Parts: sequence; C-alpha cells; structure tokens
Amino acid sequence: MKIISVENVVKCFPVGDGKFTALDHISLDFFTGEFAGLVGPSGSGKTTLLNIIGSLDKPSKGKAQVAGKDIEALTHKQAAQLRNHSIGFIFQVFNLLPVYTVFENVEFALLLQKKPWHERKKAVMDALEWVGLENMADKKISKLSGGESQRVAIARAMVKRPRIMLADEPSANLDAKNTHSIMETMKTLNQEFKTTFLFSTHDEKVMQYLDRIIHLEDGKVVKDEIITSRKEDF
Amino acid sequence: MIHFLLKGLLRDKNRSLFPIIIVSIGVALTVFLSGYIKGVMGDMIDTTAKFDTGHVKVMTRAYAKNIDQMPNDLALMGVEKLTKELARKYPEVTWVKRIKFTGLLDVPDDKGETIRQGPAMGLAIGLFSGSGREVARMNIKNSIKAGKIPENPGEALIGIELAQKLKLKPKDIVTYLGSTMNGSMAFMNFIVTGFVRFGSQSLDKGAIIIDIFDAQEMLDMPDACGEILGFFENNVYFDSKAQILASAFNTEYFDESEEFSPVMVRLKDQANLAYYMDYVDLYTMIFVGIFVIAMSVVLWNTGLLGGLRRYQEFGIRLALGESKDMIFRSLIIEALLIGTTGSVLGTIIGLIATWILQVHGIDISSMTANSTIMVPSIIRSKVTPDLFYIGFIPGLFAMVLGNLLAGIGIFKRQTAQLFKELEI
Ligand SMILES: Nc1ncnc2c1ncn2[C@@H]1O[C@H](COP(=O)(O)OP(=O)(O)OP(=O)(O)O)[C@@H](O)[C@H]1O
Ligand SMILES: [Mg+2]
Repeated sequence: MKIISVENVVKCFPVGDGKFTALDHISLDFFTGEFAGLVGPSGSGKTTLLNIIGSLDKPSKGKAQVAGKDIEALTHKQAAQLRNHSIGFIFQVFNLLPVYTVFENVEFALLLQKKPWHERKKAVMDALEWVGLENMADKKISKLSGGESQRVAIARAMVKRPRIMLADEPSANLDAKNTHSIMETMKTLNQEFKTTFLFSTHDEKVMQYLDRIIHLEDGKVVKDEIITSRKEDF
Repeated sequence: MIHFLLKGLLRDKNRSLFPIIIVSIGVALTVFLSGYIKGVMGDMIDTTAKFDTGHVKVMTRAYAKNIDQMPNDLALMGVEKLTKELARKYPEVTWVKRIKFTGLLDVPDDKGETIRQGPAMGLAIGLFSGSGREVARMNIKNSIKAGKIPENPGEALIGIELAQKLKLKPKDIVTYLGSTMNGSMAFMNFIVTGFVRFGSQSLDKGAIIIDIFDAQEMLDMPDACGEILGFFENNVYFDSKAQILASAFNTEYFDESEEFSPVMVRLKDQANLAYYMDYVDLYTMIFVGIFVIAMSVVLWNTGLLGGLRRYQEFGIRLALGESKDMIFRSLIIEALLIGTTGSVLGTIIGLIATWILQVHGIDISSMTANSTIMVPSIIRSKVTPDLFYIGFIPGLFAMVLGNLLAGIGIFKRQTAQLFKELEI
C-alpha cells in the first residue's frame, strides 16, 4: 500500500531578493513497511523533504500525500492531528523534555490523544520495553547517556504506533555501538509493526541497514536504489 | 494534560519559581511604594489633622460658620456630656477637647510694667490634665527646644520665634490679655516653662500652648470648648470612615432651629483640604503609574526571555502533534498562573510591609531635629483599598504581555524554522 506519495514537489526559500530552490521537482513513492533513507551532501534538501512529509512545512509546488492526507491542503490543526496520530519524529539532538521523567516523556504523545491512564501506562511500558529501557521509567532525562536518550526518543515516537517514522540524522550524536544498537531496534520495530521508516543520513553505519537508498543532490533525486528486494509484499 | 503541564511548570524553576519571585518582588515594591507615597504625601494632612482639624471635628454650627475668627462666644456647651456620648457611640475614635483663642502676650518687669508685647494665637489642649495622648500626638516632648513641658496649672509653652521676639527665658512670666466667652476682659499670668518648634510658621511665630483647664478658667468657659476633635486608630485618616461617622452624627444631632446645635465635619471639609487631597491623589497616581510602567517593562522582559528559552520545548510539542494554538494557549495560561501567584504573594508581602510601616512609623525626628523647614518627624505608609489590586496591574499584565509577545513570535515563525533551531 502506498503510504507516502510525493509528486513534482518544489520547495523554494526566499533568499535576499531572489529565491533558493531546495527541492527541485521531486517525485517519490513509499510503501507501507519500507525502511528507506535519503542520503546526499549537506544542503541537498534531505531535511526539507522530511519536513514536508512530516507536515511541518508545505511544498511551494507539487503534491505530497501522506497517510491519505494532502499536505498542501492541511490547516495547522489538521497537520497537528496528522503528526499526533500517524507520524513519529526522531531528531539528531534527542529533544527530550528535561523536566520530565523517561516515562513522562514517552507518555506525552498519548496525553495529546487523550488516552486514559491505564491505556497510557501499558503503552508506555511496552514502548520502553521495545527499546530496552523498561527499568529506567522513573529516571530523569539529565541522568541518561546519549544512546539511552535516543532510545527514549524512539520510544516516544513509537508509543502511539504511528504508520510513519521520520528520523533526521538519528546517529549524528551517537558512537558506533549505540548507532548499531538503535538501528537494530528500529529495524525490529519496522518488521514487527510494519511501520514505514524514512531516514535522512550521511552515516555509512545507518545506510547498511536500509532497504532502499535515495540519493539527493541539489534538491533532485539522482539515484533511487533498492538494496534488498523485500520478501514481504508491500 | 493540564496536570502534565503543571507538573512540568512546577519542576522547572526557571519557569515557575524565578518568575514568581520576580513578579512578587515587583508587585510587593509597587504595593509598598504606593502605600509609602500615600503615607508620606499624606503627612502634611496628618500634621494639619493633629494641630488643627482632627480627623473629624465637632463644633456648633455657628462656630463652624465663623471658624476663622476663633469665635469662642459661639463655643460648644455641655462638652463633658457630649464627649462621653461620643466616646460611648464611637469607641474606636479618640475624642479630645480643644480651645483656640487669640490675644496679647505682655512681658512685665518686676514692678508689673509692660516691657514688651505681642499678639499670640493660643491653643489649649490636654497638656497635663489629659492622658498624655495629646502631648504624644503633637510630638511636644521632641519639639521642646528649651526648658520643659508644663506640669502645673498656670504654666505654658511658647513658640520659639515668639519667645525670641519677646526675649523670653524659661521660667519668665507672661500675661495673657484677651476676652472671655462672654466678652468681658480676660487676663492670666503664665510661667513659661519651655519653647517649642513644630516646624510650622504660624505656631512657631505666634503660639502659646496651655492646658485646657486653664483655658476654660481663663476664658470663663466651664464645661465648654470650641472644638471636639476625633482621631482614628493609629492616627490614620480614612475619608470613607469620616464620611460615615459625620453623616451618622449629623443626622442624629442636626437641629435646624438651633444654631448652637453640634455639627461634625470631616478633615477633608476643612481648610481647603479637599483640593489638596485630590492633588495628592493625582500625584500619587502619577508616581504609581510611572512605577507600574517601569515594572511592567521588567516583567515583560522576563516573560519574553522565558518564552524564547523554550523554543526547543515548543518544537518538540509541535512534532508530537500539538497545534500552535494549543501551545499558545498553554503559554498564556501559564503566564496567568505565574502572574496571579506572583501578584498575590507580592501583594501580601507589600501589604504587610506597608501595614508595619503604617503602625510603627519610622521616627526620623532625631535626624530632622535641627531642620528649620517643615519635615514630617515620623515616616508612615498607608494601607488603602487600591493597594489590594494595584500590584496586579504590573504583575499580571506584564507577565501575560511578555508571554503573548513571545508566543506571537513563535506563531509568526514557520514551523519548519523552529526545527532548524532545534537541530543546531
Ligand atoms: N528556511 C529556510 N530558508 C532559507 N533556506 C533554507 C531554509 N531551510 C533550508 N534552506 C536551504 O535549503 C537547502 C537544503 O537544506 P536542508 O536542510 O534540507 O539540507 P540537508 O540535506 O538536510 O543538509 P544537512 O545534511 O546539512 O542536514 C540548504 O541550502 C539550506 O540552506
Ligand atoms: Mg538536514
């Protein structure tokens, strides 16, 4: 099933008097359960594309359909709804809320969905188990290592069981061991829940886990390679 | 959700404790300063009340009409009974009898021949016959510049400049010449026990202060006096209280046909004080207004910085699916909470401080002892009703305004741009 469809998307930013084209007629489709990544030099437009797919930004031209919604037509509220229910984000810096505990950071997304306490508790503990942090539920964020923090971020993004996970350079602040460990965790989640993962990365270690690598350069797709043909039917 | 946000708010001292402290300090200062200004600027009124008008004053209607002439022929009669009645009906008010009079002071030589003479304005109070409260009220002990306070009938205090003019020394004898209540000749010898300087021109240049009993005898006014003055607790004037008191009294005692029926007037009704007090109110408002604006700017900055510091948090919350409206709203609610808490705390602190300085004024008379200008000898603040809300203006307004502006900043920014800042 097609879950993300990007059609002739152009994104321009105003620069001085003129404008800068960050995405130049991009067309891409992603299917449920893909484990794909955008790679390319700095400034090639990876983050810009992820932001559009994540409904944090809108295309200047073209169409982007995500989980059945037209991104360019969404209001602020509708975009927030889409993010709340269907999209999980993981960032380069872990972006956890420092005043809350591990449990509370993960719980936050479910509070937004107004889930009752017993459901929240179970879902949060499950999510912490997926990332191997079930014993750290009450820890303060400031007491966590980098690897642990990124695991909390993964649990937070996954706890609402989104259909799409967007990860912008998730390994940039991690060492090799932690990078492998979180990639394995995410791969497992991808297989278990059929969650579609879309990465943006420079990191060889990340790339070796990807099933599909899309090369961007100057806002254009220059190569779209399938690494392993997946056995499961999309 | 609200619970969750509150939890975060309480744990993050940068968002809760520190802004509350800043707001509280600002609000407490605003409250205290306005109470202080009201107190100090009201001090002249206070002095006038103590020496002249009281907080309320009872006299005959005829006396009230001609008050400038100190017409003791129109004085109140049966004042023992009236004072007792007043004390019974209004026990929270202190009632004292006073007589004002004019006449000549004559300094005789050994043979009784006049050496020097000068006009004098007399004030008769409970100097040693009363409970000593009048002496305290006028701060007489500290105002004596030479000699001592009278202790016996036939003793008097004299304004220091008048004493110099008449070349008097303590224990000299002066003769008062004037007229009695009935218009016949009055004269009496006084031993001058001391000289006083109150800092008021008219008193220092022309006053003779004697005991009320001496005055009654000298002016042939048994059981009579010109004025009965009422003073509120802690010597602080409240116009609303005076108004209620006066209208209750006047309803009861007013008699159209009797021009010697007693009438009560407020401090504000006397000696053009209404004009002066409105003037003080205006200046107080201007002072407080300036301070409120200054405080608002400080708190506005605090709110703004708080909002800017939290871009990261807002980015995360947006990514997790909160809409901008929701974040904006929670930001304002938070500011309201903090602003209210800080304002309540600050108001309480400010009120307590103001109240303390109202009850226990700071006595600066030792510092101003040698001053020749009129300086209040005790600094007092004053708790007025507006102090209960005035602090909320900078407290709440500035806090919310700061967050509002910060929030608008966030709103205006492209969502994606917020993320740009996140990833640095
Ligand atoms: N809001 C913006 N205003 C102006 N230019 C922008 C804006 N956002 C991105 N750009 C520009 O668009 C281009 C693509 O940026 P983008 O962040 O998508 O690159 P990237 O591939 O993610 O790079 P990196 O690997 O460094 O993260 C860059 O040249 C960037 O300067
Ligand atoms: Mg990027």
